[in-house]
Amino acid sequence: MLEFIIQNNIVCHAVEAMLFASVACAILGVIITQIQISSIGFTMAHAAFAGAAVGMFLSFNATLCAIGAGVLVAFLIGPLSDKARVSPDTALGLLFGISMAIAIFFIAYMQTLGRGFSAMGLLFGDVVSLYREEVYLLAVICIVAILFVAVLYKEICGIIFNKKIAESVGIRVRPIYYAMLFVIALTVALCLPIIGGLLLYVWLVTPAAIALQFCYRLSSMFIMAPVVAAAISVSGALAGLEYALPVAPLTAVLFSLVFVVAVALSPKRRVTFRKS
Amino acid sequence: MVAGDPVIEIKDAYTAYEGADRPTLQGISLIVRRGEFVVVGGPNGAGKTTLLETINGMLPITHGRVTVCGYDVKGDGVPVRCRVGYLLQNFSFDPLTPFTVGEVVMMGRFGKMGLFRKPGPEDREAVSRSLALLGISDLADRPIGQLSGGQQQKVLLAQNLARNPDILLLDEPFSNLDIFARESINRLLSRLAGEGVTVVLVSHAFDDLPDRPVRVVVMMDGRIVLDRESAPGSVAAVIRGASGIHA
Repeated sequence: MLEFIIQNNIVCHAVEAMLFASVACAILGVIITQIQISSIGFTMAHAAFAGAAVGMFLSFNATLCAIGAGVLVAFLIGPLSDKARVSPDTALGLLFGISMAIAIFFIAYMQTLGRGFSAMGLLFGDVVSLYREEVYLLAVICIVAILFVAVLYKEICGIIFNKKIAESVGIRVRPIYYAMLFVIALTVALCLPIIGGLLLYVWLVTPAAIALQFCYRLSSMFIMAPVVAAAISVSGALAGLEYALPVAPLTAVLFSLVFVVAVALSPKRRVTFRKS
Repeated sequence: MVAGDPVIEIKDAYTAYEGADRPTLQGISLIVRRGEFVVVGGPNGAGKTTLLETINGMLPITHGRVTVCGYDVKGDGVPVRCRVGYLLQNFSFDPLTPFTVGEVVMMGRFGKMGLFRKPGPEDREAVSRSLALLGISDLADRPIGQLSGGQQQKVLLAQNLARNPDILLLDEPFSNLDIFARESINRLLSRLAGEGVTVVLVSHAFDDLPDRPVRVVVMMDGRIVLDRESAPGSVAAVIRGASGIHA
């Protein structure tokens, strides 16, 4: 898609992947940080990890099993938190524990059987050896995230503001809330094998946290977060590939630096009153 | 709907919270007509808030029937909630809440708009009108988290007025409000009742009720123990008497 600007195919695919995934994650990250379920990042990472372990044990495609496990967890988060009368964050904690236990069980069992398993790909991803189809998949995820927020914007605003007030004004909170959790979890599950758990968590939380330093409106956050995420991610990818540095950790460090600068410059912490 | 028509009809309703060992409302029957001003009193835990949430279709009704504006709330509470304003008690917002006052008031219209529809001129007009009614038009662009508790309370009331409700359910609307704000909101509520809006108000502050006869409903242990007309000045005495509390 960006071949007319970047001739090198590897660099082009890496930049495109970073661009699409960062925009999708940053948009959904605004919702995640506002409804305080940032643990969805590591829960999905470990669900995918468990899926990959099970897949390898059963000699299935590990990536597909990782995505499948992520999707399964995506289906479970909303109903589990409602039925068990626990907060979504607690439901995520429960699913994290179960996923971790399954993953460790199968990894240990495979080691007993003398079969190896490497989780590095899921942790750090692999943006430099992507197929065109994987980049297209990320583009689709990005479009789904944008459309989801655009179409259900006012309902999302209501739920973020307060679920009980949203219900009292006549919003059908439960199905929309479940859909919201599902789209977030699905995006995380699909991005994970490509981007890696480390960078994904940074993308989900940091752009929204940066935007919150400057924005007083949710609508502004939905614009600023993906713009900042895209700029940092593309810069990180280009710099990493140019100087042969690991792309995901470099980008994560860049995000953290920008966050520190944003906190320092935030007008929300400035006291401007002076007695004349 | 004609003046005096029943807008809330509760027949032998039982409501229970999930996991509770007994129903919170026990065999409540109540008919409220259009334009009535009802004050619900009683001790803490009597079931006053539960009564409002039952009327608004936010709680499961385990027995009996509740009809609001002609809709059975047991079937689907959403059409009811689009016609009923419900001010919840004790809300305060974090300074970083990323919504302005105008946006919060607009949320009151979301249920009425339905899915996939963006706010139109009619919605913006309703928001401006309700902000003006509460005297907070100048706060429209301020983040809600930066307002005082009383101002936030007014914003939530404006949010409810923005959907031009047939019924207003108000749970402790005077908490956080200064004496001037209480007086102006009472005048507003009295005017709305005169225009045909049914007001059901749960409160522990009876000093500033509107200068008009009100219907007093007293609850204890999930049941209605008194239901009668009263002059505004004697509401507190009526509730105390019915609750068995003597000054």
